[in-house]
Amino acid sequence: MAPCPPTIGGFSVLPVTIPPLPSFPRSVLHYLYVRRNAPKIPAVDDSRRLFLTNVPVDATEVHLRIVFATLVGVGRFESVTFEEDRRESRTDAQPAQAARLSAHSKKRKRENEEAERAAEEAAACLPSTWTRPLRKSGSTAVVMLADEKSVDQVLKAIAKVHKSKKYPSWGDVDKFGAGKAPPPLGSNWLKAHNRLSYPDKDTLQTSIDAFSVLFAKKEQEAAEIAKRMRNEPDEDGFVTVTRGGRNAPASKNEAEEAKRKMIEKDEKKKEELTDFYRFQMREKKKEEQAELLKQFEEDRKKVWAMREKRGKFVPKS
Amino acid sequence: MDSAPSKRQKIDHSEPSSENVLQSTTTAGLSKHRIFVLEAEELLDEAALDYAATFPSADALLGDIKTTIESIEPHEPLPLVEAALRLEKKHRVQVPFPEPRPPKDCNYKAAFAKLTQFNVVGSYVSKTMVRTQKDHAIDMIFVVPAELLQEKDFLDLRYFYKRAYVLAVVAASLKKKYGADADLSFEHLNGNPLCPILSLRPKDKETQDLQNYRIRIIPCSPDGFFPKSKLHLGACLTRKADEKESAPPAKPTPFYNSTLVAEGCSLAYLKTIRQIEKKCASFKDACILGRIWLQQRGFGGAVSHGGFGHFEWALVLALLLKGGGDGRGDAVLSTSLKSTQLFKAVVQFLSVTNFAEKPYVLGKGDLEAPSDSGPVIYDADRQLNIAFKMSPWSAAALHQQAKWTRSLLNDGTVDQFSPTFILKTDFPLYSFDLVARLNHYGSFDQAAEVDSRGKVWQFGSKVYRILKRALQDKELGERARLIHIRTPESSPWPLDERPKKKKSAGVEIGILFNPENMARTVDRGPTAGPNAEEREECARFRGFWGGRAELRRFEGDTIRETVIWNSKSPVELCEEIMRYILNLHLRIGVMDEDMTFYGGAIQDLLPLEPTDSAVFNATKKAFADFEKDIRELEDLPLHVRRLAPICPELRHASVKLPPLGPNKSAPRPLDTVVSFEASGKWPESLAAIQRTKVAFLLMIGSLLEKSKEGKVRTLVGLEDAKCEIQNLAFLDVLYESGPSFRLRIHSDLEETLLERQVKDKTQEQHVRTRATALLATLRRFHTHLPFHSQTISTFVTRFPALSPTIRLLKQWFNGHKLSYHFTDDFVELVALNVFFSPYPWDAPSSANTGFFRALLFLSRWDWRSEPLVLDTSGDMSQVDRAAIETRMEAWRKIDPMMNHTVLFVATSHDTTGLAYTSSEGFVKPSKVVAARMTALAKSACQVVREEGVELEPRRLFVPTLKDYDIILHLNSKAAKGTQKTYPSNGSEGVDGERERHSKFKNLDERTGKELLPLAQHPAEVLLDHLSAAYSGPLVFFRGALEDMTIGAIWNPQVQKKKFRVNLPASYKPGAVASAQESDDDDEERAVDVDLNKEGILAEIARIGGDVIERIEVKGF
Repeated sequence: MAPCPPTIGGFSVLPVTIPPLPSFPRSVLHYLYVRRNAPKIPAVDDSRRLFLTNVPVDATEVHLRIVFATLVGVGRFESVTFEEDRRESRTDAQPAQAARLSAHSKKRKRENEEAERAAEEAAACLPSTWTRPLRKSGSTAVVMLADEKSVDQVLKAIAKVHKSKKYPSWGDVDKFGAGKAPPPLGSNWLKAHNRLSYPDKDTLQTSIDAFSVLFAKKEQEAAEIAKRMRNEPDEDGFVTVTRGGRNAPASKNEAEEAKRKMIEKDEKKKEELTDFYRFQMREKKKEEQAELLKQFEEDRKKVWAMREKRGKFVPKS
Repeated sequence: MDSAPSKRQKIDHSEPSSENVLQSTTTAGLSKHRIFVLEAEELLDEAALDYAATFPSADALLGDIKTTIESIEPHEPLPLVEAALRLEKKHRVQVPFPEPRPPKDCNYKAAFAKLTQFNVVGSYVSKTMVRTQKDHAIDMIFVVPAELLQEKDFLDLRYFYKRAYVLAVVAASLKKKYGADADLSFEHLNGNPLCPILSLRPKDKETQDLQNYRIRIIPCSPDGFFPKSKLHLGACLTRKADEKESAPPAKPTPFYNSTLVAEGCSLAYLKTIRQIEKKCASFKDACILGRIWLQQRGFGGAVSHGGFGHFEWALVLALLLKGGGDGRGDAVLSTSLKSTQLFKAVVQFLSVTNFAEKPYVLGKGDLEAPSDSGPVIYDADRQLNIAFKMSPWSAAALHQQAKWTRSLLNDGTVDQFSPTFILKTDFPLYSFDLVARLNHYGSFDQAAEVDSRGKVWQFGSKVYRILKRALQDKELGERARLIHIRTPESSPWPLDERPKKKKSAGVEIGILFNPENMARTVDRGPTAGPNAEEREECARFRGFWGGRAELRRFEGDTIRETVIWNSKSPVELCEEIMRYILNLHLRIGVMDEDMTFYGGAIQDLLPLEPTDSAVFNATKKAFADFEKDIRELEDLPLHVRRLAPICPELRHASVKLPPLGPNKSAPRPLDTVVSFEASGKWPESLAAIQRTKVAFLLMIGSLLEKSKEGKVRTLVGLEDAKCEIQNLAFLDVLYESGPSFRLRIHSDLEETLLERQVKDKTQEQHVRTRATALLATLRRFHTHLPFHSQTISTFVTRFPALSPTIRLLKQWFNGHKLSYHFTDDFVELVALNVFFSPYPWDAPSSANTGFFRALLFLSRWDWRSEPLVLDTSGDMSQVDRAAIETRMEAWRKIDPMMNHTVLFVATSHDTTGLAYTSSEGFVKPSKVVAARMTALAKSACQVVREEGVELEPRRLFVPTLKDYDIILHLNSKAAKGTQKTYPSNGSEGVDGERERHSKFKNLDERTGKELLPLAQHPAEVLLDHLSAAYSGPLVFFRGALEDMTIGAIWNPQVQKKKFRVNLPASYKPGAVASAQESDDDDEERAVDVDLNKEGILAEIARIGGDVIERIEVKGF
């Protein structure tokens, strides 16, 4: 194996040895690329965070915890957020009205209210069907460490690893400790997925009920906001048009229907006047002839194009 | 239209106005016709032969030959046998006497006189040869001088003996002159054993290689030498020496007689054709088109090729232009027609005149022909049956081919050109449902041969007569549409030998089924009754069917002669009947090797039983019951509008039969979708709609369990959903009696909301893209698939061969590990297309032909520029088709690399063209895979072409594993194990394999628990995850779900990358780059990284765990 550079494009390279498996009995290296977390929108704890890319597909928090433990010892690793987890958002679950209005609402929610809402939302979630998710190959993660010092230590340890060639090992089962090992992959994983796909009916019903309660609540909130905002000019002096006013706009469906009807009416009117005058007929005939000519030209072009692709005109033997 | 005055129509706009009429004339087929004309012109250009290059120095050679022949010294009459012996001794040339050879003691005299009349005839003079002809030949005729012949020579082959002698003398002299510079041999003119000719293939002067053309030197008789009145079709002109005058009138010898007439007509026909060529400018072109058409269908002038070749085509056309048909004598065709019009006219002529059954007279005259003279096209002026070389079967085949081509030329919606001229159609596997070879001629009566066509032909005609009676009996119901017999070709032989006695090369029989009748197992013959007529009928029936005929009583108390067959499938039935009847009448098939049947082997690959359709029907019945149960639920808040099946099992299209009755393995519920009456109660939020659907499913489940207590088990399963607004759940309904169904709910509002999101320009791009994908999935499940299922179900009943064709084709996709990338519906539509536009044949009548033609279609489909359009509802207009093509062009312009749209398949229900070739927002298949499909189909067709009937069908289904970079071998035991899961008890069962499994059944916790259905097949889940994780670097290939090997190839485009965040896969620092880069201080510079292949494989091994047994890597 060629020597591996300690850094690459601003990232420290952290090779990880992968133990061989019976189906692929070779010991190979996987490369994690690590740097300090520096997102475009800085956050408070950025100094405690490390940004990882090229995370293995089967990475779990436990896996990373062990890797960091081998580097800088136990107790430095706090948590990890994977790429998929960060992207998730729940804005979809709002009623349409609420989603539209929340942009206008300036009311700040109190913290305990937010926590409450988070709990409610968690209850409304459907149970997961996986014991363990898979990452996309080459994806990223952000690791939160205990303190700023740990970040430096980790980066130093990585540089050291290159000299000692003692790379941390991936998925070292012995170090997991009892009961902490991530659920296995393979057939158990597949079977567990099938089992989890059929949750208990009561659980499911509870979750659905929680969702409807939440949804109703949100709808109500939205209605309140709407009510409040009616006739209340914003700082630029505009009044937001909301549903339920005196001259409330019709629902979108109705508006669309009306428009369709109008277009239909217009078309019918137009149709009545075609082929009415002689000149219309004459023009039409002319058009048709021109069309015929045009088609002929097109056909000829097509045949030419076919001839370009040699062999079209040779009878097969 | 009513008889309303035209004035009123103008005012009334609801009437089909002139606009509609005009539209129909401008669009229906006109465009296709125009293209056909243009393409035919191109074809004529392309096919034109360069005469100078093909026949170098031919004219000089011809002149040379002429002088050589002219200078042959005449000699006085000698006894024939003695003259022949002299010739053999002196020149080592065997006189090519026709069989039976002249008797030793015959007293005819042979002489030789100076030959004076020569002519070059045929397509060399007309310049109507084409490039793709098998071989090019110049026909040179000389006339046997009249002074050598006597008027009585038309009897008993005497003319032919003398002709052979003259030819031998000519051959001897040419051998002397050209022995070194050319290859000389005898052959039969058009395989006619009466007419040997001399063929001379010159050598290249410098290289001494044989040229690619030959000169055929053909003797013929002086025009009008023999009285034509004596040569009519009913005359018998060969009498056996031992025959007494008192013997009953011998059988007529139409072939012998016609050959004699034809001998005298060569010059007359040359003249006729020259005249027409002058009069009609496009005659030559029409002849070339005809030649190509015949050639692509395997017809030729030789007896073994059907006896209808280019010459016959030209003659028919010339006579139609000149004299006209049906004995009236007016010209049928105008000389001012274009070549394509003339071509179509001849095809039309051949398709409407059934001259095999009823003689057809061209020109003014009348004809009395005996009833069994075979096909007759009678040229009244020259009193010759032009079709004398044809056999009843070749005439039937020609008639059929012409009919197919005519219907093709009338179909304005398809490509008319390629099937007419480009495709080669005479491969038996494409054309016939069953092919058999007889290796043995059975008991054969030598004395019966009177008409000089040769033993093999005689035998073939006997077989044909028997099979025709057995398989094409109108009263029983025709089992076969066409019976074709192919006799071996005659081959040339050297001058100093006698014509080789053919080794029994065998006769090939092709049968084209009538799918409605071929599956019949009981043949009902005539009713057995007391009166004489009935008795006679029965006796005839018994006489033909022999011991198998028995009396049976049928409903309505009729007693009939009956034959019962034991086989089940059409192919086997046909084989059984043929074996039985040929053995009965000709004593063939006593030995096993006497008769070989092809086409049955495909059965071993995929057992297609006739009972299969019963299983499918039972499944459909179970679905109907399920639908009834759902509709009868009383407390549902909304009415069920439609419950539709969407899985292949419910449309006769799955490779494996759906399981019937209770079974041990985990149930795999059949997919169905339900939609309810429109309702305003759905919440106006996508996520909320999805939750409502889950609640709805829970409710349906509990209602069903209540109403069918104990008989049904329901489970709500969760989809592997990526976001909140896609479908989240389904309901599995498991009947105790076996069948199980999966239900998904459709909500109108969901579709509307998604549509709105797609159109809403204020939304963020990723939201709109997601909405587009979700909308496509929704429409696929709830609009296209229900329609598609309905369509396929309809056509499965209309075309009996469709269902097995689909299943075979799917098996082929499975075999080549393509299935993972194709939707079921796409494969089904490909099979259906073979039935919709079957040209140049008609709709396949068995799985074999259907399958081979589907492969042929796949190999020829240029999906880069052509959409596949299926008019499933039968009302697609030309405008619609044009729109589809335009849409495809537009897509190709937007996406020239074909990343998002590859195969374009449109039907009446979906004119967007993408519904069947995309799923879950991904294009299925990708360009790479589509190209692989085409390549595989091409090589399969190549094999079919090369191997012919000897093809071992298994070969077509065996995948080539060496093409893959990586092969994942699954552990079949572990893979099977994953299919069995049991509900967990309570909360602890998350990774429940820690549950106690005891060896003893009674201690095992699982005993008594019911298996969970499969939410998704584990093999599918695993591969889906692998594909999702490695969508960048790897493409996976897998066949059926049970396939234990998964192939994969590396994507060559992602092997090396510049380092950045969010690479498409796992990379390792590049070895070479790193050495240089470490010196460079510039950290910002992009650095090369290599794909970490081993790392990825190790990851795959970890994901697969025990399911993957071994990862095989190419190159290690």
